[in-house]
Amino acid sequence: MAFLEKSNWVALVVSVPTLLIYAILVVPQVLSKPIAEISWVQPMIFTIVGFVVANILGNIVAAASNPGEADKKDQRDTEIDHFGERVGNWLIIAGSIVALVLAMAMADQFWIANAIFLGGLAGALVSSITKIAAYHGPFQTW
Amino acid sequence: MVKPTHVTNSIRSLRFANAEMTQADLADRVGVTRQTIIAIEQGKYSPTLEIAFQIARVFRVPLDEVFQYPER
Repeated sequence: MAFLEKSNWVALVVSVPTLLIYAILVVPQVLSKPIAEISWVQPMIFTIVGFVVANILGNIVAAASNPGEADKKDQRDTEIDHFGERVGNWLIIAGSIVALVLAMAMADQFWIANAIFLGGLAGALVSSITKIAAYHGPFQTW
Repeated sequence: MVKPTHVTNSIRSLRFANAEMTQADLADRVGVTRQTIIAIEQGKYSPTLEIAFQIARVFRVPLDEVFQYPER
C-alpha cells in the first residue's frame, strides 16, 4: 500500500470517531437545552485538536511501519490527491455557504460554527473515501 | 474518474521476458511506486506520456510494443 493511501486510511479512521465524539458531546445538549446554553466551544476545540493530533500520530506510525515508502510520491499519487481534494472541497464550500446564509438570517453562532465545522469534517471524510476508492478502482484524470 | 481505459499493455509479458523483472524493480527504474506499476499493468491507470516512454525505455522497445490502442 502506498504511503499516501495509508495516510488517507488514517484520515478516514480518525474522522469517524471524531465526528462521533463531537456528536456524543453536543447532540444530547441540543435535544435538552436552549441553544444559548449549549456548551459547544470546548467540545469543538477538543475535537479539532484531537483530529489534528490523531492524524499526525497516525501518519508517524504509518511512516514508521515502512520508512522506505514514506517519502515516495509519484504522478498517480498526486493526481489522486488533487482529485480527492477537489471532491472534498465541495463539502467545505457547501458548509461555508450554509454558514453564510445562517449569518445573513441572524442565526445563533452555534449553528454558524457547526455548519463550518461539519462541512470541514465531512469534506475531510469524503475526500479520504474518494482517494481510497481511486487507489483501488480504475482512475483516469481525463 | 472511472472511465475505463481502452489502452492495453504488455508490461507483464515484457517483465517476464526481461529476466522476470519484478514490479518493484520496474517501479524503481521508472521512479514510481510499485502500486502505480500494478495499476498500470492491470489497466486501472493510464500513465502520463513521460512515464510511458520511461517504461518503454527500461525494456528497450518502442512505445507501441508496451502500450496498444486496439481499433474498435
